[in-house]
Formats: sequence, structure tokens, C-alpha cells
Amino acid sequence: MRFKNRRFDDADRVLNIRDLSVSLSGGHQRPILDKVNVTIHQGETVCLVGESGSGKSVTSLAVMGLLTKDALTVTGGVIDLEGQNLLELDHKAMRQMRARRISMIFQEPMTALNPVMQVGAQIEEVLDSHTKLPPREKKKRVVDIMNQVHLPDVERIYNSYPHQLSGGQRQRIMIAMALILEPKLLIADEPTTALDVTTQNQVLALITELQEKHGTAVLFITHDMGVVAEIADTVYVMKDGQIIEHAPVETLLRHPTEEYTRRLLQAVPSLIPRPARERNGAVEVLDVEGLRKVYGIRRLFSRAKPTLAAQDVSFSIIRGRTLGIVGESGSGKSTVARCIMRLIDPTEGEIRVASTDIARLSRRELRPHRRHIQIVFQDPFRSLNPRWTIGQSLIEGQLNYGTSRSEAIKRSGELLELVGLPADALKRYPHQFSGGQRQRIAIARAIAMRPDVLVADEAVSALDVSVQAQVLQLLDELQEKLGIAILFITHDLRVAAQICDEVVVMQHGRIVEHDTAANVLMHPQHDYTRALIEAAPGRHWDFANFKELEPA
Amino acid sequence: MAAAPQPTSSLQFILGAVAVPRHWQLGIGPIIAAIVLAIIVVATLFAPLYVPHDPLSMDAVQRLKGPSSEYWLGTDAYGRDLFSRVMIGGQVSLFIGVGAAIVSVFIGLLIGLVSGFFRIADAIIMRIMDSLMAIPSILLAIALVALNGPSLWSVIFAITIPEIPRVVRLVRAVVLSAREEPYVEAAIAVGSSMPKILWKHLMPNTLAPLIVQGTYICASAILTEAILSFLGAGVSTEIPTWGNIMAEGRIYFQIKPSLIFWPGLMLSLCILSINLLGDTARDLLDPRLKKREG
Repeated sequence: MRFKNRRFDDADRVLNIRDLSVSLSGGHQRPILDKVNVTIHQGETVCLVGESGSGKSVTSLAVMGLLTKDALTVTGGVIDLEGQNLLELDHKAMRQMRARRISMIFQEPMTALNPVMQVGAQIEEVLDSHTKLPPREKKKRVVDIMNQVHLPDVERIYNSYPHQLSGGQRQRIMIAMALILEPKLLIADEPTTALDVTTQNQVLALITELQEKHGTAVLFITHDMGVVAEIADTVYVMKDGQIIEHAPVETLLRHPTEEYTRRLLQAVPSLIPRPARERNGAVEVLDVEGLRKVYGIRRLFSRAKPTLAAQDVSFSIIRGRTLGIVGESGSGKSTVARCIMRLIDPTEGEIRVASTDIARLSRRELRPHRRHIQIVFQDPFRSLNPRWTIGQSLIEGQLNYGTSRSEAIKRSGELLELVGLPADALKRYPHQFSGGQRQRIAIARAIAMRPDVLVADEAVSALDVSVQAQVLQLLDELQEKLGIAILFITHDLRVAAQICDEVVVMQHGRIVEHDTAANVLMHPQHDYTRALIEAAPGRHWDFANFKELEPA
Repeated sequence: MAAAPQPTSSLQFILGAVAVPRHWQLGIGPIIAAIVLAIIVVATLFAPLYVPHDPLSMDAVQRLKGPSSEYWLGTDAYGRDLFSRVMIGGQVSLFIGVGAAIVSVFIGLLIGLVSGFFRIADAIIMRIMDSLMAIPSILLAIALVALNGPSLWSVIFAITIPEIPRVVRLVRAVVLSAREEPYVEAAIAVGSSMPKILWKHLMPNTLAPLIVQGTYICASAILTEAILSFLGAGVSTEIPTWGNIMAEGRIYFQIKPSLIFWPGLMLSLCILSINLLGDTARDLLDPRLKKREG
């Protein structure tokens, strides 16, 4: 693994944050940021890493002067941008600072761009508010920066609206907007988190390229250690509003000094697949054959081309094993999961659950069979009814299948203990739990039905790595105890490597590769699988053991 | 960001743990509005206990008198006590307002839930609602009253019908967005029946916006009743309502403006305070709609 190992001791300091503290306005709780110190030199990329709630984003917003008024206040410290303390500037001066000297790109380019304005005009707007250039000159600058961010067919994209572009193209537009005035400092807040791995790789390369060209200092906020390994010069680790460790990237990954950093790195799942388990007792609990889902053909007057979301999807799972479906967004993996759950109706194909084909059953006929197959969703904050106690959510399904209330409550208590939560959680509401705990509750709700198959649709993708590791561990234990088969849908190859026995790779609605996890990840046959693995950031580094990955 | 406020009261719980802010910061306006409305409601409800005169008893000798210790606000063209008539008249006006609000919210809720959840029903129901919305409410009221005679119920009915589509649209929109929530899909997955999902998972989401909408309907119903009475298409003229009193008073407006002034004042104060409270409820329940300061 090649890390960046440039030295910046002689370079000019662009940003110097000293003892920055931020608190909730009027609150007496502990500060949100506690004496944060960060230094960024010209041309340097500083990565700020930490789990959610550690204060990464608050730091960046404080630098931009964008802290929510009336909610967060800076209580002390200095934000020094090339000798000027940003905290002393008034609104007008700060507005001049943004875009000219500091600019920012965000996680979700679709919401950061104006949906009803052509993207070219949006880039021009930045010039309008900060410079006085003649129209022709303006257009030239915009086209120039669009070329620099490697947008294809610049003339067409100049006149396009955000929804006509792909996620990667939109993020390139954002980068173009951020860099057109050649700012000294670029703040990137999780800029690639919403993108697919292959796109993420291109965007990271682009940021690095432009940074070298313009000598921009970059403050890069991320939770992804793989991205850190690829892009960082220096890494700052944040926890509970404090910087607990900072070091050049290689030093940090090889010799982390703080216990927390070690744990953070050890929680990063390895890309080396675990050995597949024995196929003892080959009882097929889920068998999907020739599944096909087409959107948009039943319209009466529409001439729209039907979209093939999934076709010729066939696989089966046996008791006690885990099958992973991996692929990028739009590959059809969630469509398959939702068809299997019959949350949407498949166009063609068979779905046999406990030897009954459920693909064609009506809603009413389906109800007795629902019990056999349960789902855990991605977003732990939306998958539990916020108005219901945990107990109500857990007994709902059991009551539907004739369990008495008292028995259902008793069993729910046991289930909570099984997933590692106290039994008194039954009387509490979802908002009183963290994301990881809610995901445990969602798992408890699913296994309360004693299903044969558990569908986990990106079930750990919204969680921090350390929590992710615990939930994966839990799924593993439950599988061991209860012998459930798991259909695990994920975009994250690292997660897939850790939990799956077999892996199905999907692209454009089709299965392109299906084999054991070891074969798919170590000896990929299909070009697309290879591209996916190539693109996984930090794939040559063994984070958990602080060293290079040994070639298998 | 994820820290949702704790539901400290049962009200907050019913209205949604997420929607209600922890600190209810009320300005002076809503408090005054609440006091004014409370006074009006109590005063009209208990009016029969304290009004000095029978609001219907006529006295030709005392017609169009000014305020006196006997007739506090004076008398109308038939010598009836204006004060007694205004206070008693409020009963009918408030009853129509609250009645129309409750009936239209309830019917609208049922139709909206069905329409939001079942696609086939939706296509049919929403076309009917569209056509209902195309009917001017005053014209519909006049037609209904012309058919059925001027009764309290035909007035409530006439006011309710045009309000229902608005409630249906509101409920439908809430249901359409809530049914995509993973917790609803999870309920489907554990085999809950459709009516159960509708009532237990989706319906509570509509309560907060419905309370707000209900206050607006209440205010507009009181106003519509007054307009209908004024046009002579409302409740029968023997029953005093704010609208009736003003309608009769308009002939004498030149010589005795107080016949219009007092019922008009009660009507305006009542509607103003209901609307203000509705706005406050909306701001509290849905902070996104609140106007930004500065």
C-alpha cells in the first residue's frame, strides 16, 4: 500500500484552529467541541475521522461560519485562516471569505444543487456574486473548470439540470463550483459517502489531482478508514468533541497510540472472506427462480420504455447459511429483496419459501406464509414506529399469528436479552435508543416470528464501524443458535466478506457472478466484480492488524 | 440531530414524539387569543343563565333604543334586547363552527385513509373530491337550503361538504408519505392486516395536521354561517345567530350601527382568536412551516 508521505513542515499554514470550543446555546451540558486544534498546510489533505456525533461536521461548519444560529455557539478559541481570525469577522466579511478563500462540498450533491436551475448557470452564479467578469469571460471560466473536473460533453452538461446528471457528475459539478475561485481551503464533508465505490474512487482521484494542481489545502471529513488510507496526508481522530490523536497517515495506521484509534481500526471489516461453513443438511429454505421485475409497462398511454429492474435472478439458500447480494446502486439488489418479501410484486418467476411458491399469492393468501421470511431494513431511525413502545412493536407480529398477549410479551423480553438489550427496554420508545440498539430491536422483531429466512437489506450500512461489527457478530450468533438462513444485501464488499458464505454479484438487474465468498472476492471471474474489488478503498491494507495485507 | 425530544406529556406523545418541541415558547398573542376565546365560549354557553331578557320577546315600545341599564346594548327594530341576542346567538354560531369542523375532519379522515392506502379506491375518490372542490360552497349552501328548508343541519351539511375534500387531500398526502416508511413495511412483513396498519400505524401521523386544519375549518364555518344568514340562506330567522342579527340590523345601519357592530365584533374576535390559535398549533406541531426570523 502506498501512502502519501509528503512533508509539509516548510509549507505555508493555511488553516490553524486553536483551542476551538463550541457549546449548545444556553445548555449546561458538556461542550460539543472541546479545545480542538487542527493545522492544515498548503497542499495538504487533512482527514478528520470519527464516529457519528464526534464533532467532525461541527468543526467544519464552524470554519465556514455556518453553525446553526441560536443553537450552537463558539465559546472559545481561534480559527486562523492565513493570519486572519475568522471568528472576528462579521457576516458580510465572512460571506466574502466563502467561495473566495474557503469553500465546501457536501455529502449529497442532489440536495446541495438547485434542482430548477441549469448547472452551468449555478457555477456562473458563484462568479457573479464574487467577481465582475464580462459574460464571455465568465462562460470561458466555467467551461474551463468543468473541463478540469473531467466532465464529458461539457456543452451539453452546461445546459443540463441536476436530475439529468449521475451522482458522480453532480459531485463533480459541486467540486467545480467549490474550486472555480481557487480557494485556499476546501472542506469536503463526506463527499463520497453517497456514491458507489467505482464513482467514489474517481472522485477521490479528482480531488487529489486538483489539489496538486492548485495547491489547495483540503479538510476531508469521513468515517471511512479505507478512504482515509487512500487520500490523507495527516489524520486527526475525533471522539466526543475532542481530537484524541493526530499523525501522518502511515504512522497512524501502523502505530496508533490511543486505545480508541486501535479499536476504530480493528473494527474495519477485512476484505479477506471468512471460510465458508459446512453445508450440513441441505434443506433449501428459500429458492428463487427466474425472478424478473419490470417497471412501467402497465401504463395505458405511456410510451416510456419499461425498466428492467431485475431479470433471470435465480439462487437458493439452505438453512443456517448466509448468501450475500452485492452490487452498486441501481443494480437491482434491493428490488430482489423487496420482491422476495412481496413488498412489491414480481413480474415473473418463482419464489419458494418453505416449499410454497409465494410469488403469485394474493395479499390474503400470503399472510400465513409471511411468518417464514422476515426483513431488517437499512435505516434504524425509521424502521420502528416512533409512537410505539418497543414492546408493542415486538408483539405485533406474534399477535397476528395467534400468540396470546401475555405469552408474546414474555417472549419479547427473552428476545431482547437474546439481542443483548435489557428486558425493561420493552416499555421504552425508539428515540431512547441509539442506532445500533434500534437495529438490534429490529432484528428481535424479525426473529420473533421464528422465520426460516432473514433478509437483511443494507442492515448495517447506516451504522458506525464499531457498532457495525457488533451487529454482524449478533447476526452470526443468532444464526448459530437458531439456524436461520440469511439473505444479506449490501454494497460493501468488506461487510460481505465478513458474513457471507456465498456471494451473488449483481449488475444492471442481472446476476453476473455467483460463487463462494472466497472465490468471488479472491478470484473474481467477471470484469465487473474485478472492477468493484479494485475500487474498494484501502484494499491493500489490513486495518485490524496495522500492516499491509499479505497476498493470498 | 438524531436526538428526538422526549415525550414529556401524553399530549406530546399523541401528537408525535418528534413533532413537538420540548420548550413550548408561546408569545403573548396566542395567550391573549386563548383567553378571549375562552371568555367567548364560556359566556355564550352559559348565556341562558344570566341574560336579562328573552332574546325572542318583542316589545314595540322599546324598539331601537340606545344602551341603558335595562338594555345594556340597546334594542333592535322589534324591541328585542341586543345583548341577550348576541350572547345566545353565539351558541348557534359556535355549534355550527365546531360541528362542521368535527364532522368534516372525521369524514375526511376516513376517506383520506382509504384513498391514501388503496390505489384503486384512490383514483375514484380523488376524482369525486376534485368535482366537490369545483362547487362554490356558498352556492351549494343556498341550493341545499332551498331544497331542505333553512335548518341547522342543512347549514352544517352545506358547510361540511366543501371542506371534506381539503381534509381528504391532507390525510391522503400524509398517508402516502408515511406508507413508504420502513416501519409500515415491517408491519406488512409481520403479517398485520391492512385495516390494522391503517388505523394503528398510519392514522396517528395525521392527527397533528388535522388538529390544525380543524381550527381553520371551525373559523371558516362560523364565518360561512354568518354569510349564509346574511344572505338569508342560513338558519331560520327566528333563531338568533350572529349572522342573522347582522342581516336584520343592516336596514337600520344608518340610524343604529351598533346592531351590526356588536355581533360583528364577537364574530371577528372569535375568528381571529381561533385562527391565531390554529397558527400557533401549526408552528408548534410542524416547526418547518414556521416563518424564519430575521
